[in-house]
Amino acid sequence: MTATSSAAYKLRRFGAGVAFYAIILGFCAAVLFPVYWMIVNSIQPLSLGMQFPPPLFPKEISFLPFTTLFENFPVARWLVNSLLLAGMTTLIVLALAVLGSFAMTFLRWRGKAAFGLLLLMTQMLPEALVVIPVYAMYRNLGLSDSLPALSLVDAAFILPICIWILKNSFDSIAEEIYEAALIDGCSPLGALIRTLLPLAAPGLVAISVVSFFYAWNEYLFAVTLVTSPDIRPVAVGLASLKVMLDTPIDRVLAAALFFSIFPVIFYLLIQRYIVAGLSAGAVKG
Amino acid sequence: MFQSATAEALEERMRQRRGWSRHNSLPYTLVFLIVAYLGVFILFPIAQQFLTSFSNNVVGVDKVTWVGLRNYERLFEDDDFWFAVQVTFTYMAFVVVGAVSLGLLAALLLNRKFRGRNLARSVIAVPWAFPEISAVLVFLWMCNPTFGVMNVFARLIPGIEDNLNWLSDPKLAMPLVIALSIWKAFPFTFLVILAALQAIPRETYEAAEVDGANRLQVLRHITIPEITPTLLLMAVLMSIFSFKQFTLIWLTTGGGPYGGITETLVLRIYQTAFRFFDLAYGATLGVSGFVIVLGLTLLFVYAQQRQDRARRS
Repeated sequence: MTATSSAAYKLRRFGAGVAFYAIILGFCAAVLFPVYWMIVNSIQPLSLGMQFPPPLFPKEISFLPFTTLFENFPVARWLVNSLLLAGMTTLIVLALAVLGSFAMTFLRWRGKAAFGLLLLMTQMLPEALVVIPVYAMYRNLGLSDSLPALSLVDAAFILPICIWILKNSFDSIAEEIYEAALIDGCSPLGALIRTLLPLAAPGLVAISVVSFFYAWNEYLFAVTLVTSPDIRPVAVGLASLKVMLDTPIDRVLAAALFFSIFPVIFYLLIQRYIVAGLSAGAVKG
Repeated sequence: MFQSATAEALEERMRQRRGWSRHNSLPYTLVFLIVAYLGVFILFPIAQQFLTSFSNNVVGVDKVTWVGLRNYERLFEDDDFWFAVQVTFTYMAFVVVGAVSLGLLAALLLNRKFRGRNLARSVIAVPWAFPEISAVLVFLWMCNPTFGVMNVFARLIPGIEDNLNWLSDPKLAMPLVIALSIWKAFPFTFLVILAALQAIPRETYEAAEVDGANRLQVLRHITIPEITPTLLLMAVLMSIFSFKQFTLIWLTTGGGPYGGITETLVLRIYQTAFRFFDLAYGATLGVSGFVIVLGLTLLFVYAQQRQDRARRS
């Protein structure tokens, strides 16, 4: 009696376990399908993708789109432009976010709450709301079609979030450490550079990744403020393939895949810090 | 004795330091730098938009003059504007509900212990890390009316024999854009909700187990109430994400098909200025968008304070 019921119990548990794994597997498969489809269509011969119904699994593999990636489109140029743009944006954001989060966390001053609210509002502002006057301003100043000028705008838009993320890192450093550095004779900025920054290294890495790939992915400012094909960053370059109907889709998806690998790897590595910063930090003033 | 004297001296020195830093100009210099920077690229442009909304500035107009509230009168009578507002809020509502509930579901599933859990968590985080442009390109290919794989799936549904037009179908365009946006957004809510679930103390669950509560009761009476502030915060963050969204809509439907079925306010602002060159009216639409941003900011502050209070108690 007990033996059979325990066997039945084991069987039921086993069944529930299988069902659970099936659900997880199905869910993950559904979520990853677009990525999978992108890979399949960039590594199978074009003729297989251009038929209906397309085979769900690749029957034949060819890496031609990848080996000829740099010949098909000005991929190298986009890459260099985006590296420059994202690199400059990251430097500006790092400098300003360090100072801003430091002031928010370790210094005492009036108006913290108001400053926090200002950051919050700029963070929520749609880019499309500002792009028209910025475009006009840049045209008047002769700054359109310049990557440094574009990086200034990108940095302004991602700065508030980065200040919150870094503030979250600073918050976890005991105030005594900062005070000890002051007692040892450091100036506040000296204490920031020598003591606080090394301790906040993960936060610095996190905001570097966030700002770098914001500029890497950003489309609206880039397409509006940059008109010359020579200085197009990746996002604009890829989007321009969309309208060229004669571009073979395997090449397009191969290029898109190539440019997606970097952000995916970096984001997954530092997701912990970004999530903590975005969900915990804001408006404590 | 000696020790306490040193401690007192230190204390005194710290007090001096603090007093010194209270009147110090350092924090104000730092903050001024940042405010000035944001001022040039964000605050000044917004102020300019505000001024432009009271003018008749259209590209090509001879003389730009002030026209008072005329643009705002036009705004209130503009059916296209109200339609765009309706589209915006419909889109936002579906993305918020979809992303938060899917994120919650995934978080509940992956909060259980099982082999391969970390791999599954990374897999689900991928769309969040995936660039929007790449997502758009593969999405367009999937929705291709002739070769798209979506038609393979659609034909599994009984009654569908022909290929669908997907993005150019007025009934399907909006649901597709919403689905793409949810796919891109829900991993973020998943990660945050998962973090909140992990922060629930074990004892809370153990107490419920002792009382003989079943799984559903635990979910309803313990888990959900514990993470309600986080869910609220995610709902607000998702409404901001969806309100701001430009790229995912612009590059897939461009606001179409037919008369702007998927044209949100943000797209309409862009179109008005860059396609119709009506800078003044574009700015007026922008001001209306700014009002919505203000409202969302207040909501965010409220949600955040609630979460803080919940965490402290």
